Amino acid sequence: MNRTISISALCLSLITAGAQAAPQPMASGEAMAQQCAPCHGTNGQALTEAMPPLAGMDADTFERAMLAYRDGSRDAVIMDRVARGFTDEEIHAMAIWFEQQPFKPWQDTTLEEAYDASNAADKAMGGQQ
Amino acid sequence: MSRLEQQTFDRKITRRDLIKVFGASAVAATGIFGASNKAFAQSAAHVVILGGGVGGSTFAKYLRFADPDVKITIIEQYPEYITCLRSNDVLVGMHTLDELTFNLDTIRSKYNVNVIIDKVVGADFDKKTVRTQKGETVSYDKLVVSPGIDFVYDNIEGFNEQVADTTHPHAYKAGPQTLKLKQQLENLPQGGTAIVAPPQNPFRCPPGPYERISFFAEYLKKHNPTGKVIVLDPKDRFTKDIPFKKAWERLYGYRSDNSLIEWISGSDGGQVTRLDPKTNQVQAMVEDFQADLINIIPNQRAGKLAQMLDLADESGWCPINRHTFESMRHDEVYVLGDSTIADAMPKSGYAANSQAKVCAKAVADTLKGESPGRAIYSNVCYSLAGQNYGVSIAAIYEVRDGLIQPKGDSAGVSEITDKPAQPILEAVYQKNWHREFVKDVFS
Repeated sequence: MNRTISISALCLSLITAGAQAAPQPMASGEAMAQQCAPCHGTNGQALTEAMPPLAGMDADTFERAMLAYRDGSRDAVIMDRVARGFTDEEIHAMAIWFEQQPFKPWQDTTLEEAYDASNAADKAMGGQQ
Repeated sequence: MSRLEQQTFDRKITRRDLIKVFGASAVAATGIFGASNKAFAQSAAHVVILGGGVGGSTFAKYLRFADPDVKITIIEQYPEYITCLRSNDVLVGMHTLDELTFNLDTIRSKYNVNVIIDKVVGADFDKKTVRTQKGETVSYDKLVVSPGIDFVYDNIEGFNEQVADTTHPHAYKAGPQTLKLKQQLENLPQGGTAIVAPPQNPFRCPPGPYERISFFAEYLKKHNPTGKVIVLDPKDRFTKDIPFKKAWERLYGYRSDNSLIEWISGSDGGQVTRLDPKTNQVQAMVEDFQADLINIIPNQRAGKLAQMLDLADESGWCPINRHTFESMRHDEVYVLGDSTIADAMPKSGYAANSQAKVCAKAVADTLKGESPGRAIYSNVCYSLAGQNYGVSIAAIYEVRDGLIQPKGDSAGVSEITDKPAQPILEAVYQKNWHREFVKDVFS
């Protein structure tokens, strides 16, 4: 019963979304990942603070951590609140994006390396970025 | 030789070389691209950013991520920028102003951005040009304005810009007033009274006044234990008030007879209506107060530049398209940060940084003739209720029903727990966050 209702609601919301200007169901992995930079460094490349670097993190590790923060099974200061803002698909897209970023400090990274990493993330998402 | 010419000379690019690259009219119209030895493609669009603070600097960097070829120019009035972020720390000696001072050198060199230190005096939206005080006319394809805030004094009799600059610093823009207020706190007589009067909503850095109140109390506890902070607030609630007040109870005896902090809400007559700078008296709605130190933080509106360029509406703030931060009042013009009407997003440096990234991608997409992707924003504000006691607020945002609203179940403030590690960790993260944040903005 609940399932039926939620599927109908989903269909309705898809129809509504289709009628409006914003076609994408979610923001790109890159756009979401960039929102993490103030704490985790540009492109997740902060290596010397209490917050862990996200660049180069294995995608599965990232996803498991975010899901555990979201469901409350992992202790958190702030990441439980942050994780509750994202769906499974969004967490997956961020995980893929961060996995492709080089594990080194941002200040030692060139723009060309950043462009390459962004393109690699695009490819890893099957061009769905 | 002007500063700009000097920079150009230093980099061994002469005006004649630039004319060769861009043609004489391009040089005249867009200023000198002395920023890099890499010449911009002549056909590339030119994005001009007014304001090199958090919003403007982040925008320039992330526009470069989104487009390797676009020409980017920042016009900023001052060669150095002092972050308001962490300027409360300066009041109690946790930071110096020097440690909060940044410039655009890395933005210029690493991201190939042309930086002009000059004041903007006008714009022609039809011709798509801006004029500067030194007489340059700079043409743009897209204009991005990140002007910060301006102060409004007219609701408090006897308080004005001159009083704030001399005897009663608001210290809500980091700089000389910050140091003056620090001195006033240090000079407070034993057993003296400090008044802090926060502004009415909306204003920059909603937890800022309450962090300052906390720092004053912590300073008094240590150096002046019979002193007191009286808060005259025009509001009944403030951001993170539950965790802040719990911290005040734990640290400063709040709600006890010996509390170092007395908070008078708007309903209890907290709204200040008059200041007598000579006698150090303030009149609030219900009673008058005499104090040794009076710190009134004025009400606010969009920065002067936003007003001059007709980007603010009758509310005093700038209406924007929630998906892109393009101005609702003028085409091809975007507004970022504190001066915008961003619904649930607070006026914070974090929010300006977040908006700048979305806007940069939207501008890059638009210039390529593509429609911008779906917007996602965030805000995390850590504040200190004591040097080792942090409180936070966090949310991820999306555009829903035409407004910027918290996404999922993300919005929330620090939980009140009995775990002693929680506020200590928040204070640790606060310090880590500040170091990383300024790097994401300026380097």
